[in-house]
Formats: sequence, C-alpha cells, structure tokens
Amino acid sequence: MHPLSILSSQAYKVFADMGFEIATGPELESDWYNFYVLNFPKDHPALDMQDTFWIKNEKEKVLRTHTTTVTARAFEKAGKESRLPAAFISIGKVFRNEATDITHEMQFFQIDGAMVGENISLADLKGVLTYFYKKMLGDEIEIEFRPSFFPFTEPSLEVFAKFKGKWLEMMGAGMLHPNVLRNIGLDPAKVQGFAFGGGLDRIAMIKWGISDVRLFYQGDLRLNQF
Amino acid sequence: MKISYNWLKWYVPKAPDANKLAGIFNYHLCEVESLEKKPGGDTIFDLKILPNRAHDLLSHQGVAREIASLLDIEYVDPAPKYKIPASIKASTDKSELKIDIQTSLCRRYMGRIIRRIKVGPSPEWVKKHLESIGQRSINNMVDAANLLMFNTGQPAHVFDLDKLAEEGLIVRQAKTGEQITTLDNKEVGIGVKDIIIADSKNVLGVAGIKGGKIAEVDNKTKNIILEVANFDPVSVRKTAQALNIFTDARKRFENDLSPELAAYAMRELSALIFEMCPEAIFENVVDVYPEKQKEKKLSFSANKISKILGLKVSDKEVEDILKRYNFKYNLVVGAPLGAPTTKFTVVILPMRLDLEIEEDMAEEIGRILGYDKLKGKIPKINFEPKVNETYAKISWAKGKLLEEGYSEVMTYTFCDTGEVEVQNSASDKKFLRTNLTDGLKESLKLNQLNAPSLGIDKVKVFEIGTIFKKRGEEMHVAYGDKKEIKEMTLDEYARLDLLQAREKNSPAFALGGIGQGTHGSLNFSLQPSHFKMWSLFPFIVRDIAVFVPEKIKSSEVEKIIGKNMGDKVVHGPELFDEFKKGNQISYAFRLVFQSYNCTLTDAEVNEIMTKITNKIKENNDWQVR
Repeated sequence: MHPLSILSSQAYKVFADMGFEIATGPELESDWYNFYVLNFPKDHPALDMQDTFWIKNEKEKVLRTHTTTVTARAFEKAGKESRLPAAFISIGKVFRNEATDITHEMQFFQIDGAMVGENISLADLKGVLTYFYKKMLGDEIEIEFRPSFFPFTEPSLEVFAKFKGKWLEMMGAGMLHPNVLRNIGLDPAKVQGFAFGGGLDRIAMIKWGISDVRLFYQGDLRLNQF
Repeated sequence: MKISYNWLKWYVPKAPDANKLAGIFNYHLCEVESLEKKPGGDTIFDLKILPNRAHDLLSHQGVAREIASLLDIEYVDPAPKYKIPASIKASTDKSELKIDIQTSLCRRYMGRIIRRIKVGPSPEWVKKHLESIGQRSINNMVDAANLLMFNTGQPAHVFDLDKLAEEGLIVRQAKTGEQITTLDNKEVGIGVKDIIIADSKNVLGVAGIKGGKIAEVDNKTKNIILEVANFDPVSVRKTAQALNIFTDARKRFENDLSPELAAYAMRELSALIFEMCPEAIFENVVDVYPEKQKEKKLSFSANKISKILGLKVSDKEVEDILKRYNFKYNLVVGAPLGAPTTKFTVVILPMRLDLEIEEDMAEEIGRILGYDKLKGKIPKINFEPKVNETYAKISWAKGKLLEEGYSEVMTYTFCDTGEVEVQNSASDKKFLRTNLTDGLKESLKLNQLNAPSLGIDKVKVFEIGTIFKKRGEEMHVAYGDKKEIKEMTLDEYARLDLLQAREKNSPAFALGGIGQGTHGSLNFSLQPSHFKMWSLFPFIVRDIAVFVPEKIKSSEVEKIIGKNMGDKVVHGPELFDEFKKGNQISYAFRLVFQSYNCTLTDAEVNEIMTKITNKIKENNDWQVR
C-alpha cells in the first residue's frame, strides 16, 4: 500500500475513535467553497496566502487549495439535517500553484477536520490534536499552539509538535470564524467550534524520515516500504 | 518585516535580550522567520507579521508598542522630543499649496511645502537604521521618507516642487492612455481605474505605490512637497497587481492603514527634515481629510472569551490586559435573573483595525496570556457518525486489489493534454488528467526496470484517484500489469464485483459490511519504522547456480554467498530456482548490486562474483554451473 494510504487509514481510525465522521468532496471546487464561504475577502492580500490554480474559461472554478472546503460542505449539510453537535474529518488531495522542491509539491494530501457544538473550545482542540499526534507519531509527542492568522478562524493558531526534541510546524487551526458559521447556515450565537488542517505528506515525512515530498507521486514502488 | 533590535531599543529600552525576545514573538505575536546577529552587536529579526496585524505592526514603533504592552514595560514615545519647526503661512506672493482630491479612494492627503532644503547625505544614525534592515541610503530627503515608513508604518513621498507645473497636486483617476515613467525608469501604462497623483500637465506618481521620474528629488532640489496620504486598500492592491509593482508602500496600503496615522507621521517626517536641514522653511500642513475615521467600540464579556478559549479568564485579567494595551473601556455589571453578568465596552485604538468582534478579543487575550495555559481535553459530543459511502468504497477497493497482489501507487494529476486546463501554472503541465491509465503505464515502465531490485518478477499496480472530464470529475479505479490496464469508475468497479460475486456465490462489497471504525480489511502496523531512500545509481543483476549433494540445504549455500558478497547488495541472495538431478540438487540465487555513492562497474561486480565462486568451490562436491 502507498505510505499515504497507510497514514490516512490510521488517521481516519484515530479520529473515528474520537467520534468524527469521514467526509469527502470534490477536488475541482467553486471559488465560493474554496475562498468566500471561508471568509476570504475579495481583493484581499489573504488570497495571496495560497497560490491557486484557477481553471481556464471557468471563472469561478479552482483546484481546491485545502480540504477545509469539505469541512464547510459537511457542516452545511449537517446543519440542514439538524445533526449538531457534529464532528467531521476529511483527507484529500489539494493543489498549490508553486514551484516544486523537496518540501513543496503542486499536489499533496491534506487532513482537515472540525467539531461544532455549543461549547466546543480551543482546549478541546488541544485535547483532540494531542491524542491524534500521539497516535500518529508516538506517545512522547507534545504539542503547542502559537499565534497565526487564517481568514476562516478566529482565534487562529499554528500547531507545533515536538518530535525527537525538535518543535515542528504541523498544521493551522483555530475556532471557526462566525462569518464562516453564518455562511454555512449555522448560528454563531448558538454554536461554536474548532477547525484544523495540515499536510498529511508532512506527517509521513516526519514519521518515516522521507526526505523528499516529490517521491510520493512518482508511481515508484520502492516507496511502498511499510 | 525586518526589525532591528537596536532600533527597537530606542522605544523599549527595557526589552529583554534578543534571543528571549525571539521566543516572546513566536509564542505571543508571530513567527520569527530568521534571526541574524550583526557584527556591530545588533540583531535583525525577520518577523512574519500576520495579515490581520499588518495595519499596525509593519513598523518598528508598532512592534515596540506591542512589546511594551505585552511585557508591561515602558514605551518611550519619541513624539514629545521632536523639534517642531516653526510653521509659516505661504509667503504673500504665493498661494498656499493646493490639493485637489477628485476621488473618494484617497481617504486623506496631507501635503506640506518646505523651501530651502539642502539635499545631501543623511546623518549617520539614519544611515545606520536603514542599512541595518537592508535598505540603501540614497540622500537625506529620500531616506527621511523611507525611515518614516519603517519607523511608523506610514509611507510618504517627496516631490521636487520646482519640477511641477504649478504649486498644487491633483489626486484623481487616470485617463485612458496615460503613462508614467517610474523612479526606477520603467515606462508604465496606467489603467483608467488607477489612482494617480498629478499636476495640471503630468502624472507624478501612482498613488500609494510608486513615484514618478518627473518630480524626482535630485542633488539640485531646493524646494519640496511632502506627501503623507492614505489610499483605499483594494484600489491600491488592484492597481499594483495590474502594474505588477511590489513596493513597501504598496504592502502597507493594501493591508489598510488608519488615516489617523498620517498626522502623527507628518509631524515626525517634518521633525526629521528639520533635523537634517535646520535652515529650511516649513509652510503650513495642508490636510484634506473628508471623512474622519470613525471611533469603533467593541463589547464582549470575559465569559464568552473563556468559553471560546476553554480557559477561565477573569474580569480582572481582562482589565489588566486592556490597561497595558492603552484601551479605554468600561465594565458594566448587569444583574439579570440569576448570576450577575459583566460586559466590557472597549474603544478600539484607530490603528487596531483587526479588532472588530468578540472572537477577535478572544484571540487577543488568548495570545497575550499564552496558549500554553490551555489544558487539553477530548470532548464528548452527542453525535452519531454515519458511514461515508465514497470512502468505504475506496477503502474496500484498495483492500481487494491488495489481496489480488496489486501494489498501490499515486501519480500526478497534471499532464500535457486533457479536457480541463488551468490558467497559470508554475510547471509546463497545464492539463488535468482524463484517466489514470497513462500514469499507471509510466509507473509500470519505471517499476519494471526496478523489478530486480524490488525482488519481484511481475509488476502489478493500481491507483484510485480523481480524473477530470469536461462534464466534471470522476473517481476512478485503474489496475493492471504490462500486458493490460483496466480502468473504470469506482462505482463500476463495485458493481462489477457484485456481479462476479453473484456468479461465484461469494460475498461482495456491501456498505453495511464496512463500519465506521473498521476501515475495510486494511491492516497496518503502528510500529515505528524508518524509510530507506533508494540509491539513485544503476543496479547490476547477477545470478549464480550451484550444484551440491542433495543433503545440502539451500540456506547453507546462501550463507556462504551472504558472507562473501560484500556490502553492495541491495537485494538477495534470493533463491529463485531449484531442481534435483540424480543425487545432486541445483540452487539458483539472484543478487542485485547497487551502490549509494557511485555507478558500479561490471569489473567490480565480476570480482565479487569470482570471490563467491571460489569460496563455493572450496567445498568438495560443490560446483558452480
């Protein structure tokens, strides 16, 4: 099996154990779900944060730059079906229009999740992510939060994990911005929740000591060592 | 944003040492991308100022104010120390500087004529400041404007007054076909929606982005106009994107600056030029500010903050923070039925455009207190997860194909031809794949070549992934070997299996069979293991067959080969053939040689094979065929 498949099975299992439902969604997305539902303002420098592949002759289509799109769709549906509180997890391919090197690839896998309810807090996020990284990278893992910015979360955080004595940047996270909740039909006066997202490839590279992200997509079976 | 530690110290003399400060930045403000110790004792931080704080932190004073509040240490306000030049009305024979603003996208424009300045080198401290953050000193006038920007965050511009058609400036939308030669000698065509600074004859600058050559300050300049203005962030961003110009001024304006900053900056810039040219004559500041920035208030409760953070924050802790950050506030205690509730109402400082809603205050208080205060816990929620059909099918299909001996690969979504094309790409592959088969063919070719080093003789691969047609995207399954590749949609694959299962009367894929937690039949080990990178040099395959008496086990032969094959074998010895003939038995082994450092030669490998052969022959009745 491909190492990223192994890892995503493991990750799904860990989140399923914490009561998350798996969600999936399209790779070719509307700019609404990729940006505007997530509170990216039009003509704003925040749009530069993600180098986007826009589709030719289809003005409003993009290759998703994150699977937060899937999270947004899942909660929108859950809200309509009165399935709150809820928790969703998704792992999927995302795309960034940037030059490739050993740590950058135009396509990679993102793990993205969120939990929304009446009292879901950043402390809950810390608990969930600590459990996750301990299961993925070993019991000795510690995690910490540092300040960050994303249009779709407020407060926004960067999640770091201490692996073999070094603090490594793992993912972005925070509390879903009230505008996002409103955009997907939820009432921020009644519910709140955390969201997180980061590269699965990165976890694989750290876990197994794979030095070049591009190895994942060569179709080379010498990669399948685990 | 490059920040000089020594420069910061002007404003926060009690700041902790540079290393400690870096930690404080990382945990309470933003990432320190790099920290460079300079020979003279200065330290330069490269701070990744977050977009929501670009309003106030793209400056030394902004960062210094933040540190002072965060650490509750003194902030030395430089303003009272400025030497304020005596300001005069325009001389009687000349009218006051005229500023004609014709667009609402200019939110404030402060102009000031200064006469009898002397252009020359900057004072040493100005040069030092600028050079510390990698800026080149040009002349005192240009340096003054630059220094102001890196010090306060407010961009400014200096025009040579005598190069203007008249003593007046117009801020307006460009007309069709207008052009400008920028300070760096580039001819730029301006779009009709772009905002420019002009006189009655010429375009003098692109508002908030770049100055023009026409009114450039040079060594002979005697009289100048200072521009300290504020422009609409979206307009600046659109213009700069269209013109493809990146400047420090653009960066600040497109992130939205408070127009209130301009007055403070004009005072500082004037003081700076006064220090450089004590003889100069400063005319009155002309300030066109049609709509004053409104005072913003924000209400929140410590309860709501606590609920968001998952950390009990008291009114007292909140008050302490508000005081340190110089916010005016009041605290109202309401007493509805039940417990009393308290609510803060805060007057937001003009520069803090990021603070708009309660959640913003939660972030503010969370980062100031430090997120290490949060105690993690796993919440229990009343939610019944359902099975995700797509994932269940993928997971099942993977399990089935693995069971049938296929190995999983992932290949690129981008390719040379297709039905869906991306607009811009950092690579030359601009289309999205319409099938998985093409990628698998490449994969098979590659793996066929490496088959010996992988220790497999028949390469069978599969991929499950998305393909893109005009009509939309589809999830496909493709699998095969060098003879044939089969590809179909995931649904077809599941259906096909159902049919086959009916024929064989065996169980097929069923959604119910794959529960939320079971994830198909995929087994994996959670044991830590380490990836071993393969060698990038070619490998050499050698076979050796040995006839031995039939009582000899293959492992005995293998042991001798293993002992003598050296350290260049990446695969083997692998027994791939054995047969009996009379009272003898033949064992055939395969060895794959490969070095991590160089290309192995036939001669080198032959030498090793000879050594193995000789060792084997030392045994009576053993012969190498």
